[in-house]
Amino acid sequence: MSETQPNPYTETSPVVLLVDDSQFVHRLLEARLRSESIVLSSAEDGKAGLEIAQRDEPSLILLDLDMPVMDGFETLRELKEDPRTRDIPVIVLSGMNSSQDKVAAFDLGAIDFVTKPFELTELRARVRSSLRMSELLRMLAQKAHIDGLSGLYNRQYFDEKLSSEFNRTLRHGQSLSIAMIDIDHFKSVNDTYGHPAGDAVISGVANLIMRETRSIDIACRYGGEEFAIIMPETDPNQAQLMCERIRQGCEHLAWSRHPARNITISVGVAGTGNTDTVTITPEGWVEMADKNLYHAKQSGRNRVVTTGLDGTHISLAQAG
Amino acid sequence: MNAPDPNAFSLDINDPEDAELIQYFLTELPDRVDTILAAFTNDDFRELERIAHQLKGAAPGFGFPSIGTEAAKLEQQLKLTSDPSESVETLRSQVDQLVSLCNSYINPS
Repeated sequence: MSETQPNPYTETSPVVLLVDDSQFVHRLLEARLRSESIVLSSAEDGKAGLEIAQRDEPSLILLDLDMPVMDGFETLRELKEDPRTRDIPVIVLSGMNSSQDKVAAFDLGAIDFVTKPFELTELRARVRSSLRMSELLRMLAQKAHIDGLSGLYNRQYFDEKLSSEFNRTLRHGQSLSIAMIDIDHFKSVNDTYGHPAGDAVISGVANLIMRETRSIDIACRYGGEEFAIIMPETDPNQAQLMCERIRQGCEHLAWSRHPARNITISVGVAGTGNTDTVTITPEGWVEMADKNLYHAKQSGRNRVVTTGLDGTHISLAQAG
Repeated sequence: MNAPDPNAFSLDINDPEDAELIQYFLTELPDRVDTILAAFTNDDFRELERIAHQLKGAAPGFGFPSIGTEAAKLEQQLKLTSDPSESVETLRSQVDQLVSLCNSYINPS
């Protein structure tokens, strides 16, 4: 699944995958679902259906029960066993109106059951209803991962993603960098201007981070005034540049509650251009970024300190 | 019986989308008829049942519910008989009925 920042929600037509061995059914539904704002993709047997489902993660699957080679039940079972496809709603299509089949399909995790020949108005309504449901579930799942104040991912999601991104990167031998960001003198903002002003600073910095990160980055609110960014496919030089952009952007933000007082951030980055030889754990990696953050604070704040995983300094950018 | 049967889904030959579906079905139908005949000739009853099953499910959606009904009868008969080769005559008459119905659409008199 491609990672995207939680906001803004992307508006694209949902993909509906039709798995049926009959060309007639493909042609029929292609014509009859044309008026719905969906993209129809198709597979002619269960095996091909599984592959497409795993690759494209459609929003909905219409699955015929009665197919040669791998029948609908078997396909459904495999879809529900695979974490990549488990949550995709499946409407089962069947030429048999047997309650035994319906019970079996629902027990295996189908969301709905439609018998052929189709009543098309009804099928369209059921497709719409399932898509609505899957969209709500998706938003709910996403919401559980989002920090309310900043709109960034929350700590729990960061922890979940850290090891999976780490493993994925190692598998492909790609580059990866991690940044820890802390707002300078945040406590004094709170004490001087009040907590609403402090909240405004957190959401302002979060907005800046969201704007400056790419869709593959995973930006989180790590703790009170601390943020963390996982940057896949990014070597420490590129990470340094990106964080420097965020640092400079922050320095120049204007604050309505305290126009005379600028807000700055300190950033620690640890990364590598080649994960082939990595021996560090993901937790150790975060610790290293945190250590660099500490150095940034110690050496005067409002700066980015970046090292490679072997400890080599990338460069020390600092504000005047 | 030489026009598409309009009852179950009331396909409208004047509606472009409906006409497209009717046309598609009529284009594909001769091929299916050949497959049915070949399967029957070769005693390939599984293939025969598969085609009958597909036609049963699809034909009504294309505006041909009577073909769906005849195909359903054939499928039912194949399902009921444990050894279809023993009741070839009954099957033959059902196959003939389905095929001639299809042909009446393919070559309207």
